Amino acid sequence: MLIYDIWFLFIYMFSVGNLIFVSKNKHLLVVLLSLEFIVLSIFFFFLVLLMFIDYDMYMLMVFLVFSVCEGSLGLSILVSMIRSHGNDYFQSFSML
Amino acid sequence: MNNNSNKMFFLFILFFSTLISISSNSWFGCWIGLEINLLSFIPLISNSKNLLSVETSLKYFLTQSLASINFLFMILIKFSLLKNFNMNNIISIMMNSSLLMKMGSAPFHFWFPNIVEGLSWMNNFMLMTWQKISPMILLSYYFNKNFLIFMIIMNLIIGSLGGLNQTSLRKLLAFSSINNLGWMIFSIMISENLWLFYFLIYSMMISMMISLFFLMNMYFMNQLFINNMNFFIKLNLLINFLSLGGLPPFMGFMPKWIIINFLLINKFYFLIFIFMMTSLIIIYYYIRIIYSSFMFNYFKMKWVNLLMKNNMSLINLSSFISISSMILSTFIFM
Repeated sequence: MLIYDIWFLFIYMFSVGNLIFVSKNKHLLVVLLSLEFIVLSIFFFFLVLLMFIDYDMYMLMVFLVFSVCEGSLGLSILVSMIRSHGNDYFQSFSML
Repeated sequence: MNNNSNKMFFLFILFFSTLISISSNSWFGCWIGLEINLLSFIPLISNSKNLLSVETSLKYFLTQSLASINFLFMILIKFSLLKNFNMNNIISIMMNSSLLMKMGSAPFHFWFPNIVEGLSWMNNFMLMTWQKISPMILLSYYFNKNFLIFMIIMNLIIGSLGGLNQTSLRKLLAFSSINNLGWMIFSIMISENLWLFYFLIYSMMISMMISLFFLMNMYFMNQLFINNMNFFIKLNLLINFLSLGGLPPFMGFMPKWIIINFLLINKFYFLIFIFMMTSLIIIYYYIRIIYSSFMFNYFKMKWVNLLMKNNMSLINLSSFISISSMILSTFIFM
């Protein structure tokens, strides 16, 4: 396998994550999981890119911190939604 | 649960995040600023005792996080393809698309009126003015002219036609904001100084309107017609709406005038036509509101007493600024 095929893997992972994000799901948790999957694909991509610059991985850690913060923010919004609506089904929004 | 020190903390981080995003040396720092922006804005708008605000914060989180993650992916692709200039077009289109989604510009605007409908007036003011600064400045760093002109046309048309059937004041201002985004994105392409000028005047006009609606606690159009408002308050509303639409003697005409001047000098005739016609539609539905509240449905009911005596000076000052700022601005250079 040539080294250039790995770019297709990253774009494929990213596209699949986006596809699941925009698909019609019953639960909000699936959407948040797809966000984490996109974060994972970006993590992999970043890792490979930084390996080409003499293994300089500090920026990867900063990225990881911010992505984890964003993931936890999503989960906290999920929790507040379950507290007020009672379930996860965000197809049943009727307010807006 | 809602105490003011929480809000002050998150507001401080919100302001700081925009400054981080604007003044960073690399695209990665810009992404960090956008993430901190999202992280600090969500606690400002979410309030777990209210069904509407939960839904609002959820929609805001989903769209903004998707946009910023896509932005980061495009930054990495740009980083990995540094010497391949053939991909510049695609990469710049994708980066601009994610930034446009952050701003609420068409064709990614569908979340914007919904969220504006679910927020209070102060949060709306934050959303419409401050949250647009960092995506727009990041847009000015790497934009694709042809793509952005197409987006501007879509913004103008959607902003003007979308507001025609609205009865909620928040959604009306949301569509007006989408329309003004079209003007602002075009002014970015002209010069960043002009964008700053347009943005300051736009935020001043929006702040005048939102402060009036906030003081009167008005969220829907029928509240404009029923209330027994003072004459000067209605006059202020008239002046501010016409100024937002861009009519000549008022303050809102000045930045649009400069943009039209540039368009005419550089022969962008089709674009001028679209700018003018969409402004016409917007002024139509502003005038529809104002004439109904100011002239046709002028109620003076005796059982509704609105005491606005303490705040009259602010309203008079804002009317004065809106009317006279174009003339007064020529006195700066004397």
